[in-house]
Amino acid sequence: MPGSKVEVEKLTRALDGKVVLRDVSFLIEPGELVALTGPSGSGKTTLLQLLGGLDRPTSGRIMVDDIAVHALRHPTRYRREVVGFVFQLHHLLPALSAQENVELPMVAAHVPRRERHERARELLDEVGLLSRAASLPSSLSGGERQRIAIARALAGQPRLILADEPTGSLDALATERIWELLASVRQRHGSTILIASHDRGLLQHVERNLAIREGVVFEQGLDANQSDPDAETPPPSGGDPHDHAPANA
Amino acid sequence: MTTLLQTLEALERRPMRTFLTALGTALGIATIVALLAVSGGAQASASKFLNLGSSDLGLFQRDAADPTTSVLPLALVGELRHTRGIQAATPLVLLVGAVHRAPGAIAFGAYPDSFVTDRYVFLAGRMFTGDRQVAVGSGLAAQLHLQVGDTLTIAHHRLSVSGIYHMGVPEQDDGAVIAFGLAQKLAGKVGEATTVAVSLAPTVSRTQGIRTISRRFPGLLILGDGVNAPRTGVSGVLLSRLALVLAVIALVIGGVGVMNTMLMSVLERRTEFALLAAVGWSGPQIAMRVMAEGILTSIIGAGLGLLLGVVGAQLLVGLLGASEYVAPNVTAWDLGQALLVGVLLGVLGGMYPAWRAARLSPAKVLAER
Repeated sequence: MPGSKVEVEKLTRALDGKVVLRDVSFLIEPGELVALTGPSGSGKTTLLQLLGGLDRPTSGRIMVDDIAVHALRHPTRYRREVVGFVFQLHHLLPALSAQENVELPMVAAHVPRRERHERARELLDEVGLLSRAASLPSSLSGGERQRIAIARALAGQPRLILADEPTGSLDALATERIWELLASVRQRHGSTILIASHDRGLLQHVERNLAIREGVVFEQGLDANQSDPDAETPPPSGGDPHDHAPANA
Repeated sequence: MTTLLQTLEALERRPMRTFLTALGTALGIATIVALLAVSGGAQASASKFLNLGSSDLGLFQRDAADPTTSVLPLALVGELRHTRGIQAATPLVLLVGAVHRAPGAIAFGAYPDSFVTDRYVFLAGRMFTGDRQVAVGSGLAAQLHLQVGDTLTIAHHRLSVSGIYHMGVPEQDDGAVIAFGLAQKLAGKVGEATTVAVSLAPTVSRTQGIRTISRRFPGLLILGDGVNAPRTGVSGVLLSRLALVLAVIALVIGGVGVMNTMLMSVLERRTEFALLAAVGWSGPQIAMRVMAEGILTSIIGAGLGLLLGVVGAQLLVGLLGASEYVAPNVTAWDLGQALLVGVLLGVLGGMYPAWRAARLSPAKVLAER
């Protein structure tokens, strides 16, 4: 299934009187693997939640293919059929096995039991954890849990995958495996993938890097030795167009 | 069906939480069952109370606080004997709590040759012959290890056991019979009786007998069956209403308990429900899951409550020292009612938590670190 085209235009989100995202605009082409980098509190999670239909913007537009996400009053179907979400804390249900966690989105979609089982096992195989299908999350390592969460995000065959700091609590080796897995997912499924992360190693696996500082999003190069994404100040307006090109591609 | 199976699995995987939630419901249900059982038992016991020597009707003073406090003039007996359709009438005095070492036993003051006592079968000895003797029921004799010739104290009067009888009516077999005149003296009812037992002519039905007597003696309460027995006095009515009020209170407490437990469960699992919303579960799907858990837990709780209630009723009666007056009586209808109440508690108690779960904001909850 081809990935989604994501168009964001003048997106603003204010929370408790504070502007978290300010006039954000960018375009992601179908099938692109894009990094979203920026310091803590810069608005990465808020942006992903808006794109995923978990939150609604204060103003602006979000178009995912022909779906006006910003205007969705009942985003359940959009979340179920278009988007796959990977969270930093994986959020696996502790009482369910790895396979049952992967099946959750399919339960919501009323996929028949047998088909659900088969599909979940295929996905577990794809993330290299078929042998742990019956394991509870408590018996899995951090990296394994996050791979299960990725398999769950793929369960609805999404056109857009949003990953929010998926390696935030993992060591370097596990982090590298997650990046490789997401890159292979893009190769196999053709999904559009947007990954928010602090980890600069991610830039070796993506095609574009959207930087975000103080709620402002801008295009940034992929050179891992470039300015530190954790820097607390946004780039000066009118800076080097190569390093800090406007995100409104 | 899928929802049911998934819910069962979810409950099975959290055994402690399921047990504690069910326990909340069980306590409410157990209270209801115990109250129904005790109140039913009181009614059944009162029904037996009327079965005095195969009498057809028992006459009491209307609006007496309690059957044992009823006071009737002895002159009534003579008038009854001359009433058409009545074959025999005999006065009785009842003494409750007067038998030493057996506070639940009833001492009956009766004439030794009345129709009430003429069906006694003596296992040893014979009927009393004066004010210094007592005939003891087989149950009471066994309880106090009495034999003919032993002494039994009633209302501080030492009486010699003249015989041990068996009747087949627990209240009589667990009690004793003394001379009517002595009982009047001990009860302070000289010239009066507690009740008059009436035997109707073979051709007269109980309904006809009640109609005839109530027309001629409008100030009497005529008891012909167990349903009427608890109405014999103000105490009976109060007891019945108190049981109803307590059952309603237990219902409300049970309902609030289920809702509170379910709400706590939802708050504790808000990340889980937010996650379900994030991966595409709709509000109604999440609410249905919570409701199904609530109902199933309540059914489990109701089953547990039925057991606790039946056992609890026995314990309650024993603790109150009323086991000799009331035998808890649980009917299939009582159990059915309790189960129905359990399901209703699950539905009502689960509604608000289900609504809360369905309205959780995944963005807010999942962003919490």
